[in-house]
Parts: sequence; structure tokens; C-alpha cells
Amino acid sequence: MGNMTNMVARIPNLVDWSTGEARLMSRKCDSCGTYFFPREHYQHRPGCSREGVKDVLLPKKGKLASYTIQYYACPPPFKTEKNITPYGIGLVEFENEKIQVAGIITETDLKSLKLGTEMETTILSMFANEEKQEVVTWAFRAVK
Amino acid sequence: MREVYIIGTGIHPWTGFSEKVFSDFATVAVDGALKDANIEWKKIQSIMAGIFIYGGNAGHLTGQYLESIFGETGVPVVNVYNACATGSAAIRMAYNSVAAGETDTALAFGADVSPQGFLTAKSDNAVQDRDVIRWKMTAMPNPVYWALECRKRMAKYGTTEEDLALVKVLMSEYGSRNPDARFKKVYTVDEVLKSVYVCDPLRLFEICPVSTGAAAVVITTDKELISKANKPVKINATTMGSSMYGDPTIRISALSCPAVPEAPMLSESYSASRQAYEKSGIGPENIDILELPDNSSWHYLVYLETCGFCKEGEADKMLRDGQTKIGAKLPVNPSGGFSSHGEALSAQAIWQVIECANQLRGRCGERQVKNPKVAMAQTYGLMGNSGTTIVTI
Ligand SMILES: [Zn+2]
Repeated sequence: MGNMTNMVARIPNLVDWSTGEARLMSRKCDSCGTYFFPREHYQHRPGCSREGVKDVLLPKKGKLASYTIQYYACPPPFKTEKNITPYGIGLVEFENEKIQVAGIITETDLKSLKLGTEMETTILSMFANEEKQEVVTWAFRAVK
Repeated sequence: MREVYIIGTGIHPWTGFSEKVFSDFATVAVDGALKDANIEWKKIQSIMAGIFIYGGNAGHLTGQYLESIFGETGVPVVNVYNACATGSAAIRMAYNSVAAGETDTALAFGADVSPQGFLTAKSDNAVQDRDVIRWKMTAMPNPVYWALECRKRMAKYGTTEEDLALVKVLMSEYGSRNPDARFKKVYTVDEVLKSVYVCDPLRLFEICPVSTGAAAVVITTDKELISKANKPVKINATTMGSSMYGDPTIRISALSCPAVPEAPMLSESYSASRQAYEKSGIGPENIDILELPDNSSWHYLVYLETCGFCKEGEADKMLRDGQTKIGAKLPVNPSGGFSSHGEALSAQAIWQVIECANQLRGRCGERQVKNPKVAMAQTYGLMGNSGTTIVTI
């Protein structure tokens, strides 16, 4: 992670770094117990009253449930200053929350990836905007 | 409900990017279906049109655009979108209109013109349209989703890279025998395994590209038209399904999925197929031909399981043992599948049903399955869209 005070998420309300560590911004429904990511991707259990939905942060760490290595550049609107291909995409499982979340894999030797690897949430800087801020997304990296 | 028959089918062969417009393709398919049905345009009492999303006004109102070309008759025209199951929705609506007695004869069609370049986000509002997020934040084109599922499958059931390649080998063999297919080159396992990874473990030849194509069917309950038709094919069921809570599949455009399954994988297709089995009284054991949505080699395998043609984790064995070949127990995708056609969103589900119908009618030339009586077409659309159609002769 770079200088956290000078970062802006390309899309807000997906990843939080205000406490000094990167955490995904989820919502939990107290009625049916389901976690949602992104927050607006409601997926209530049929029949749920949908009462008591609150913002929660997912844990920093989870386990790699699946991954792929993408060999072609993603077309716009995806944008990075430098070409990142080939890049990894991981599906990271947060066990207690019973949810798997997808994200780019960064700072990790892609050849070393294995299902079950412990991963942590981090911030990936994609490009600088006109105000010289780093425009960022969430990403995952293998825990060292 | 009344008995409903397909009496006419028409296809514009699948192709790549074209300077021609959707109506150029649609008119070929609809003309073909009318001619095959041996009826004139004025007999059509309702039009169920699949839309295509990159066509602006024309794309969203394909039915009206088409009707004006053939001559406006004031009949009900409904334009529908269900992602890659759009054609299933059109056929289902046509079937329901005829079976319920609203109209006697209906047209269902879909035509899709692929845009030049990449398919990508269609809006800029990430709160409303979460599809934006996967394009701006996680760089996930569609095959990434399939690769994530494929990797899980390989770990769970031992699917090998050779299995994935073998799917393409079979599909390319059948596609080479299909004049309407876009890709006609035959590949060996070695050649497929030498093709580059797009998203590991899926290779270039193991995922299907975007195509242009059109397909149309005329269906009727009119006894006189049925008696005049050349080998009418009965629709025993045509259903649609959506996803079920707890489905562990990561759906295209989603950023998350449940970690603890409470529903089958690809539950939208599980649902559509089970509804069709229930309605028709026909089960997987009775089906002579299956057209399934092989968007990637992973789909080919998982769909055999989702639709109940074998138990979970057994599809690889079916494939390796040759049980899915033309001439074997369950010929799968004698058309050459999406692998040989590419996706033409609103048209592909209708084309799958047409392949089934024309196999039953014995019209499929070099790829003809011997004497089939029952066929099933299964679709897969992003974000929980699926349709199943079962036809008999
Ligand atoms: Zn709930």
C-alpha cells in the first residue's frame, strides 16, 4: 500500500483502509445471516424480513478458494498506468462470513498459488488522477 | 394446454463481425422459417422477439423492426431479454401464447450482431449496475468466471487439461460437418493444448468467442398447418429457470458467491431442466440428443451433471469413454456447439432448438444422429438465466 492519505478508490464503498489496514466493505443481514459484497448486492434468503441490514467489514485474511491467471489485458474501462498482464484473479473465502470474494492478486508469485493459501486484503494502485491522487482498488496477496 | 408443434425453422449461418445490420440477418432466418413451414407471413398471429443490447432502438425493438419489413399486421409483438437465454424466453412466450389458446401460430426469432471489439460495461453507475465494478476494479472478462469455476472442478473431481482439450476436439469435428457453423477447422488434442492460455486453466480454443447470427422458428397448433408441414416436431416442454439462494457458482458480473452451498451449482439451469422433465414426463434417460451451452470446455462437463445426465464429478468419465459422441449413448452438441459457432446472444437458444428439431427430422447431413426421437436444448445466461426445451417426433 502506498501513501494512504493520498489514495482514492476508483469506485467508493468497496474497500476501507481508514484503520490502516485494507478491509472489504460488506453488509450483513441480521435476519437471514447472509453477507453481501458489494454492499448493494442483496441476496436475502427467500422469506427473509430483510430487517437489520448493517454495514460490516470483512476480515483482512481469508483462504484462496480458486484462482485464474489472465493473460490478456482487460479492455476499458479497466485502466492501469502500467500493463499488469499476466495478472491473477483470486476467489478468497472468508469462512465465518460464508462468502467468497473475487479480486486481483498482487505482490504474489503467480506460479506459487495453491488452493487453500492464506491471502490478505490489500490495496492496489492503478493510476494517478488529475489531482495527483493514487486511484486504487482492492486486491489480495499471499500472506508471507 | 394445447399441443404445440415446430413446423418451420430458419437460420442465418453464424459469422464474425459484419458490416450488415441485424435485419439483414433476421430476414434470412425468418424467410427460411416461413418457407420451411410452408406458410405465408399473414398466418403469423404473434411475434416473440429476442433483443440485442448493442443495437440501440433497433436492438431493443427487434420485433417491430422485423414486422415492418415483412408487413405490419397489428399482431402482438413482445421484445424480450434474458441474457444468453433470450431466445429461450422468446420460444417460451411463443409456446405459451399458442398452448394457452391466445394465438394459433407464432413466430419466435433472435438476431444478434456482435459489436466490433470487446464486450464491456454498459453503464457507469456502479451502485445500480454492479457489472461496472468487475470492469473497473477487478478486471474480470467473462472467461475469468468460467476459469475460476473450472479450477475448483479440477481440484474437486480431477478434471484434466486433456479433458478440456478433448471437448474442443469433439466440437471441432462436428462443427466441421455443419454448414451453418462459423468455425470449421478440426483440431487434435495436441493442437488445443498448444493454444495459449486466455485465463489459466482455460485456453484460447476452449472458450467461445462472440459471433453474429440469426435463428427463427414458426410454431403452431393449427391442425391444417401441421398436416401440411414437413415433419412437424412437438414441443413437450419449454421452461425457464432463475438462480436459487445458496447457489455456490460465481455468476458473471458478481464479485462474490456463497462459500457454503445450499443449492446446486448453476441452479438456474438445474431449475429450468427439472421443470422441463416434470412438465414433459421425459427424463435424461429418455433423451437421444443434448444441445448444451459449451461457452467453455468447463460448461460442457458441468452441464452434463447440472442437467442430470450423470452424477456430479462423472462427466469427465462420460467424455473420456466416448459416451457423448455421435453414435454413442448420448450425442452431445452434434451441431458443433458454441465452440464452433460462437455466441450470438439472442439467437443462440433458438438455434439450439432448431438443431434439435432438424436432427429429429433427419436433416443434419454429415452430423446426423441415427434415428433420434427425443432431443433437449439447454441454455445458460449470465446472472441467473436459463431455459430448457424438450422436443420429440
Ligand atoms: Zn436477509
